Amino acid sequence: MINSGIACLSLALGLGVFAFGAALGGIKRKNEIWLENSRKASYGSVLFTAGAGLVLLRAFLADDFRFAYVARNSERSLPLIYKVSAFWAGQSGSLLLWLLLLSVLALVILGRKKYKRDNLDLKVTAVIHALRILFLFLLVFVTSPFEKAEVLFGDGQGLNPMLQSLGMVVHPPILFLGFSGFAVPFGLAVVALGERGKGAAWIKASRPWLLFSWLMLTMGIVTGGQWAYNELGWGGYWAWDPVENASLFPWLTATALIHALWLPVQRRYTKFWCFLLTALTFLLTIFGTFLTRSGVLDSVHAFAGGILGNIFLVVLIALAAFSFYLGLSRRNLLIGEKASQEDTSWFSKEGGILAGLVLLLLIFGAVFLGTMFPLLSRALGGREIVLDAEFYNQISVPLFLALFLILGFAPFLNKGRTNWRRLGRKIGLPGLLGLGAALLFYFRSSGHLAGSLSFGIGTFGILTHLCGLLSKFNRHKLGVALAHIGVLIMLLGISGSSIFVQDTFQSVEPGQSLQVGGYRLDYSGLRTVWGVNQHAVETTLEVYQGDKYFGEITSRKIFRQNREQPATDVGILSTFKEDLYLNLAGWQGQTAQLHVQTFALVLWIWIGSAIIYLGVIIILVPFGRLLKKLGR
Amino acid sequence: MAGKKMKVIVLLAIPVLILGFLAFQGFKNSAAYYYSVAEVSAMELTQNKLRIKGELVKDSVDYDAQIPLLKFSLVEEGHLLPVIYNGVMPDNFTHADEIIVEGKLEASGQFQVSKLMLQCPSKYEGEE
Repeated sequence: MINSGIACLSLALGLGVFAFGAALGGIKRKNEIWLENSRKASYGSVLFTAGAGLVLLRAFLADDFRFAYVARNSERSLPLIYKVSAFWAGQSGSLLLWLLLLSVLALVILGRKKYKRDNLDLKVTAVIHALRILFLFLLVFVTSPFEKAEVLFGDGQGLNPMLQSLGMVVHPPILFLGFSGFAVPFGLAVVALGERGKGAAWIKASRPWLLFSWLMLTMGIVTGGQWAYNELGWGGYWAWDPVENASLFPWLTATALIHALWLPVQRRYTKFWCFLLTALTFLLTIFGTFLTRSGVLDSVHAFAGGILGNIFLVVLIALAAFSFYLGLSRRNLLIGEKASQEDTSWFSKEGGILAGLVLLLLIFGAVFLGTMFPLLSRALGGREIVLDAEFYNQISVPLFLALFLILGFAPFLNKGRTNWRRLGRKIGLPGLLGLGAALLFYFRSSGHLAGSLSFGIGTFGILTHLCGLLSKFNRHKLGVALAHIGVLIMLLGISGSSIFVQDTFQSVEPGQSLQVGGYRLDYSGLRTVWGVNQHAVETTLEVYQGDKYFGEITSRKIFRQNREQPATDVGILSTFKEDLYLNLAGWQGQTAQLHVQTFALVLWIWIGSAIIYLGVIIILVPFGRLLKKLGR
Repeated sequence: MAGKKMKVIVLLAIPVLILGFLAFQGFKNSAAYYYSVAEVSAMELTQNKLRIKGELVKDSVDYDAQIPLLKFSLVEEGHLLPVIYNGVMPDNFTHADEIIVEGKLEASGQFQVSKLMLQCPSKYEGEE
């Protein structure tokens, strides 16, 4: 079975190289036979990649511990769903997953009728093949998921208990899907510029791909934060860790890109922005992989260092050089004639978008600089210096606030030039209410400036978007407004949960209770729950608010067989106002150490993110047309 | 024309200065200097925040869950660094290959940790 996996990957690699070469040659020589063969080889390569994926999946499901990778990451008694997710728990498996997602994208592109003209499907697929070949090469020659186990583990070494959670089932595939999706806009741009096309069709064609990938990336980042919040027990969802930042880089540039794609194409610099941001976003997805696989930065999430990091670095430099060359040699196509710049005021929709782009790039620059600072300080001959959350907060919070302030005006900025008087009339009420919210927050938080500003700005923006919908309504406007409102609700949630925190650590005996915020938690003892191959020590506390019963909250430590290391399940009691967060930290006999925290408005973060998803889906899916089709 | 240029430069300078100031402030409060265990054992007292990576001495772990207070030692090339951490012992603590601590060196020679990071065998997850 192992050999069939290796064979599948090798064949996929061979066919991928052939498809890439034949597409390039066929296009150059306008040879239809080559192109047809390239198409066939593409399907073949994708097919064998899927074959390799199935071989590994089968090995996980059948507990085939002859596969070293399976033995390392799974065990016989693992629940089925974690046997599936153990697929991407290690290095080579996650590379294979990414490769599979890229292959699916190639398949989708090859199947699209729209892309058949001028063999656009083959050309874009060729760019994806370039990336697929890299991954296949790594999987065949550097880090194979199909290595034979040297020692046979009868039941497998098991999956790290912390990865046995729903968050780790969904987070990696979604994130990788987002990452791989950005290859398509890059491919479209490369093909268009490579052929010196004058038009801007690639910009329009990029839009759905970009929206989809952005949606996936956003979901990936949020589910990662949720996993940390639910699983790690320290009560946070974002720590400005290098690898977290690495997923934020392409998110920031892709967010800028989404807005650039809707700038009027006839403007002088629109194509330039689109290409710059497309290339940057794509490069940053590779860069993120480099950071996680190279171990150059001490990240708590990173895999160990090795040759893989060097290979990614070389590829990264090559891709950056290629993109730079392409942009530079096609600058006449990217930057329009001077005369094409119409007389637009800065105080317009375009001006707002441009200001937003600059702010997003500044945030990206600051976070990037901070993340790379250890390397920079070492390269400059000094001692390695690591920056933490305080640096990132200090610099990014004002920039984000400026961005969100501009966002609040978005619904009432007009194309070309904004009508001042109309704007004044429209923003009066939201502005006043925003000010009220800021003042209210100011007094409640005893003078927290950044928090008050974010509450004022958030409230203002949510209200202007709602007002904007009242005055003009269509599908696109609704989607945009929802996405913006979702972001602003997240802003409120993030500010609230990082500013209003209460924290207590206490050792309690049965019958005792502890106080935190307005809550009283009654502790009645521990119990041990036995399950298949595991047992858990858990406690359930009754929570009272004043004299009123509020609910129960349970936290447990789970001990799995053959594993010394336990896993903690925190207890969370969520309301719109705040989360009560319980962590069973330890015990002796029936005396338990409990760490109880409250975080305000956490639920708003998750609700805000869901509203963003809804907004993007509404923009992306032409529901009206779909309904008509169904009606026919 | 020159006047307009001046205006643009001044307008750009203000946010740049503000950003620079913020970056500097953030840097001052958060910069942690990387030292090896060996270097720390030989160094003089400093107010700088330090970041140290070392291997955990397994039988040095002394945990009082009631407070909670975690004491342990890090080792690197024969040099030992006693460390104290006022916090809950992470689940995967004794399984970590390498431990990264951030904090300050005290006059007693003990290292007071403000942030504890673990690198785990699977190299995939972290805990603070």
